[in-house]
Amino acid sequence: MVLKNRVTIFQNSLLDLLHMRKTACLILCLNCFQLLIAQQEGYGFLRLGSEDGLGMASNVVYSIYQDQRGFMWVGSANGLQRFDGNRFINYGTSKPGTDDLPMADLAQIIPGKEHELWLLFSTRNAVGFFNTQKLKYTNIPIQTTRSIPARSSMRLHKDSRGNMYLHLLKYGLLKYNPEKKAFVDDTEMRFPKGWISGHFFYEDTIKNQFWFPCTDSGIAIYDIASKQMFTRRNNPLKIPLLNETIFNKGISEIYIDKQRRYWIFNWAGKHIRRCFDYSGKQLPDTAGINSNPQYEETRYFFETRNGILWLYGNNSLYSYNKRLNRFIYYKSTFGNTLSVQYESVYQMMEDKEGNIWVATDNGLYMTGEHSGSADLGNYLFSEEKKGIEITDMIELRNGERWLSTWGGGVISMKKNLKSYTNKVYDHMPPMDEESRIQYTQTWSLYQHTDGKVWIGCQAGKYMIYDTALRKTFFLEAKELEKSTIRFITGDSKGNIWLSTQQGHIAKYDGKKFTVTKKFGTIVRKILVDNEGLLWVATFDQGLYCLSPDGTKILRHYTSGSSENALFQTGGNDIDQLNDSTLVFAAGAMNFINKKTGKVRWFTIEDGLPGNSVLRIRKDDKGNLWMITKNGLCRYNPNNNRVTVYSRKDGIMIANLTTEADLKGNDGSIMFGGANGFIFFHPSTFTNKVNPPDVAITDFKLLNTFIPVDSLLSLPAVNLKAYQNTFSIYFSALSYMQRDKLTYYYKMEGIDKDWIKADRIAQVNYAHIQPGNYTFKAFCEDNDGNRSGNIISLNIYIKPPFWRTGWFLSMLLTILVLISYGMHRLRLNKFIAVEKIRNRVSRDLHDDMGSTLSTINILSSMAKARLDDRLKTGEYLNKISDNSQRMMEAMDDIVWSIKPANDNMQKTVARMREFATNVLEAKNIELEFRVTEPVYDVKLDMEARKDFFLIFKEAVNNAAKYSKCSKASIAIYIENKKLYLSVSDNGIGFNPELADSGNGLGNIRKRADALHGSLQIISGPDEGTVVKLTIPVS
Amino acid sequence: MSRLLSLKFRFFTFVSITMLAYVHGYNLNNSYLAPLSMVDEPLTFTAFFEYLTANGLLRFRIPLLFLISGYLFAYNDQRPYGITIRKRFKTLVVPYLLWSALALLFTFLLQQVPFTAEIVAGSNLDQLGDNRSYTEIGWAGLIERWILAPIDYPLWFILALFFYNLIYPFIKWALAKAPYIWLPSTFLVWLSLIQFWMIDGSGLFFFSLGIWLQKNNFSLEKKPSWLSVGVFFILFIGICVIKTFMAFELDPDLFSSRVMIALLFKIAVLCGLLSIWYGSDDIVKWAMNRNWFHKLSGYAFFIFAAHVPLLPYTMHFAMKYFSFLPYYRLTLYLVVPGLMVLFCIFAGSLLKQYLPKLYLLLTGGRGF
Repeated sequence: MVLKNRVTIFQNSLLDLLHMRKTACLILCLNCFQLLIAQQEGYGFLRLGSEDGLGMASNVVYSIYQDQRGFMWVGSANGLQRFDGNRFINYGTSKPGTDDLPMADLAQIIPGKEHELWLLFSTRNAVGFFNTQKLKYTNIPIQTTRSIPARSSMRLHKDSRGNMYLHLLKYGLLKYNPEKKAFVDDTEMRFPKGWISGHFFYEDTIKNQFWFPCTDSGIAIYDIASKQMFTRRNNPLKIPLLNETIFNKGISEIYIDKQRRYWIFNWAGKHIRRCFDYSGKQLPDTAGINSNPQYEETRYFFETRNGILWLYGNNSLYSYNKRLNRFIYYKSTFGNTLSVQYESVYQMMEDKEGNIWVATDNGLYMTGEHSGSADLGNYLFSEEKKGIEITDMIELRNGERWLSTWGGGVISMKKNLKSYTNKVYDHMPPMDEESRIQYTQTWSLYQHTDGKVWIGCQAGKYMIYDTALRKTFFLEAKELEKSTIRFITGDSKGNIWLSTQQGHIAKYDGKKFTVTKKFGTIVRKILVDNEGLLWVATFDQGLYCLSPDGTKILRHYTSGSSENALFQTGGNDIDQLNDSTLVFAAGAMNFINKKTGKVRWFTIEDGLPGNSVLRIRKDDKGNLWMITKNGLCRYNPNNNRVTVYSRKDGIMIANLTTEADLKGNDGSIMFGGANGFIFFHPSTFTNKVNPPDVAITDFKLLNTFIPVDSLLSLPAVNLKAYQNTFSIYFSALSYMQRDKLTYYYKMEGIDKDWIKADRIAQVNYAHIQPGNYTFKAFCEDNDGNRSGNIISLNIYIKPPFWRTGWFLSMLLTILVLISYGMHRLRLNKFIAVEKIRNRVSRDLHDDMGSTLSTINILSSMAKARLDDRLKTGEYLNKISDNSQRMMEAMDDIVWSIKPANDNMQKTVARMREFATNVLEAKNIELEFRVTEPVYDVKLDMEARKDFFLIFKEAVNNAAKYSKCSKASIAIYIENKKLYLSVSDNGIGFNPELADSGNGLGNIRKRADALHGSLQIISGPDEGTVVKLTIPVS
Repeated sequence: MSRLLSLKFRFFTFVSITMLAYVHGYNLNNSYLAPLSMVDEPLTFTAFFEYLTANGLLRFRIPLLFLISGYLFAYNDQRPYGITIRKRFKTLVVPYLLWSALALLFTFLLQQVPFTAEIVAGSNLDQLGDNRSYTEIGWAGLIERWILAPIDYPLWFILALFFYNLIYPFIKWALAKAPYIWLPSTFLVWLSLIQFWMIDGSGLFFFSLGIWLQKNNFSLEKKPSWLSVGVFFILFIGICVIKTFMAFELDPDLFSSRVMIALLFKIAVLCGLLSIWYGSDDIVKWAMNRNWFHKLSGYAFFIFAAHVPLLPYTMHFAMKYFSFLPYYRLTLYLVVPGLMVLFCIFAGSLLKQYLPKLYLLLTGGRGF
């Protein structure tokens, strides 16, 4: 995009001349005026300042650097900031601490390794590097071998091999030692004794040399290949400039430009700026830089990629103009809206888009770098309030452009927009003064097919300038009743149509004027459309469509509540968009469909900068260029987008150019009005490259900004469950197009389609559900060009722990375990019941079955031996014993399975009852002792039964066989063991000889089942002790 | 040793080695062969299933193989140490060197054809991280890969086993003198994931445990009364699932996450080991009573040694050319390792039939 501004200032105000009373003087002065036009060329600047609301910390900007991603890093009096085109972000702190990034005068920003910036804080005499990813600042110690002189200052230099140097004025060079992580005094560049370099030395990367301006000694050159310091005393390569004696005093700056010109400045009474070639021959290329009478210090050099050389410093800003072959000085004039205001320019740089940035003590300025281009210009007649009012513009067939002015006559310009003295008023016949003045009050211009130029004037007067004869005819149309001719046009039949201040619509058919209509209001424009219909734009009666002969009103559009109402009644301009559509500038844009008659508005809501369209002009590509009260904009009918062009596009005075417009045959467009006009080729604003990729500029989590560089280095932004409200800021990092890009974004996981972002390029997300998301964005310029890549940012919001897979699976596992446990319990119970049933059936089978069989046999035998009463009696006794035993066994089975007996109280009671019954029947004295803790013992059914049967067997044995007189039974607990002791004072027996038949064998088995031990202590006549020990809990 | 126990050893050796194919057939974006890896990709069914299988459910196999090895080594330790080691050299070290050389040769041949060379490079198998062609790496690099860092990377198990065999007298002595120091110490080594260069520290505990169980006549057939196969099996599956979710969901940068995953992994291995060993008697009896299964189980070592690098190369090829299939990752993960196992069995059977001596040499006499 071309941004060059050509600011033409007409040095005399024509209006002043219009006050002159005498016609002769007027004409003379008109001629003089045209001869006195002078042009002043230069760059127009857009200023960014702390008052713009973008967050700039200070207007005193020392340094600026654009990183690889496109962010601008700005060093100001308040430290480091990053600019993304939308806002400035602060870095640093005012707190004390050497490793805290200070918010102080940041004089230099120099790129280091990836994500590292070297920073020089001049007033703090501190140097450090700042990691933009980790946001960590590291202070670098400065280790000198001698004391630093008073009033020394610092300046950082980075050479082409990446070495960092710190130059201390009046001291010398220090080099950064990566091992020591400090600037140390061990540079290989050693100067002759007494030679001290100034700050502004230069590395010649072509010859691998460093050129040092050694203030009062001369030029010193360090040759990297030979590792020698060349001076005039040591000049083995015979470098001619070393021998120049004029540099022996006060040499201050050295620079070698791309053309291998040697710019060497020195102070010799005043600051002398010279330019040489390698041979030492002085070149005349310093035109313009030694003529400023003001005090200035031109210290710095800057060359654009196109080779334009800039010089700058205190009160100094120059750019070399190739066309003029001289430097242009940018005088700091406060109040001049088109230039740069400064006292000091500290740094200049060119960004990736070719914009030139100027860091000054009065803010940051930006301008485009397109020297020599004439594609865009702002032309001001004067910056004074009184000026020239342009009323109409035409391009003649020879390419000249004529401007009609109110009171200033007609201004003529060549194709290159250089004005010249025309002959319009050369042969003015004698007439009264009022008429003469009225002929200079021109309102409209039209060149007929016969080449004659019609010039509409005040009070029904008009002029016809014959371009062939170079003669003007001064005429008046009586039919127009002295009404000012506001507009002149022609139709395809050769008729000329005029409109007037009082609403006349008049046709001139080559013979006479015919007034076809009179509306009684100002008719600002007549458009003859492709069908020959006349569209009449009026001041306050809306838009009329007249028949080709101008007599019939075919349609009339006004504002109101009707279906096809205009946005407002009064209109200013009209143009034809295509065969079927007209565009009427009446407040907003009113699209009128000629076929259907329908009206569609295009307003602020649709993207217009304001509902105040004043001029409309269609370019060769079908785009509509409009002047509104809010400046210049372009409407692209293909995508219905409006693009606003303002100062940073080089359009400075659009708000002044509301009265006239012109489209040249070369496609250029002009808008004119009060005191000036703008000129541009629409192609100037056509983007020739795709817009840059969108960059994520900030990530705000809740209310805290997260360092975005470090976030972007991660594969995904991992957020906790409660961190589900955040904002993402993005920008294309295009400083030229930043307000002309349309951003689209999509959060995959939430959005299905792309969403058009607003101009802030920020999107907020609140209370996002846990999960994986990908934020994507791209941008599109107004020509429909898309950024090359869609950027993406992965975001993962962790679910709260109770919604995580691991927690849910843990719950499920526990649930399965519990279910399995319950299943096992149920199964175990079932198995236990089965065991009881088996035991009962086994017991019934073993005890009852066999005994009943015995009874059956005995009863059969008794029946068979009924005649033998003795035997029968014996059998009956056995039957009685067996049935008695069976009853006891049955009683034991029933007792053991009865749940009510599941405690030791019941067990002990039954034991006591049994012992009493058995022993009393035998007259055996019984001693039965039970300790209290026994009652707390829990025995399961099987154990209880076994315990009881062991006891029963022991008591039975004592009663049946011991012949004792006394039996003692003791049940007690000791050391978590349950003891049962059955002792008697009977005859005893030898346990080793005892028959281990069913009785003893059974009780031993039962003792084993109880995991207990059975002890039988007995001897002949020693009584018997049966002692059972079982573990209990 | 009872017949059932012998069959069980043979069954689990074969099954564990078949499982190995499914561990090495892992085909997610990154090769998370470490069971403690945190996953840096979205949780999908395929990712979850493969991680659960390869880094969870099948991970009890190596401890089981070491345990079986320890038990069998102790069972047969009547021979003099020197004779035993010589025999183990023939059955372990010789196959190690042969298979490592064969894998190198196979890879080298593939590197000679651009199409297959791309597959070799893309498989990223080299243990030293240098996937250049062997012609560029040179002889020193080749020898290093042959002896120390085989491209057939599962061979580390053979090397570790041989080392344990070498120090068997010491282990036996330690177990006899201070089993309650040695076993907990090696258990801690296993728990703490300590690796002694090429020697795998994690196998020492299970190898020692196998020896201890054998020497104390511990019945591996009778389930301890305290052990509930059901509970341990549920814990095994449950913890593997929990751990898999954690691998996807926990913060990989937190030390606590890694500790948690490591702990769960070890618990899962123990639960799996116990529940699978004691709960599989019916399956073992059924399978080992089938003649075909019994025959297949004889190729366990051949599968173990031959499936790498064949399987990773085939998987890489399949991933590249069958990505059009729906759920191709999961499908290939399920199909390719199985096919590779069958291919190894087929190749082994041919070799066994036609070149029995070579087969004998390659397998260290196993499978006859």
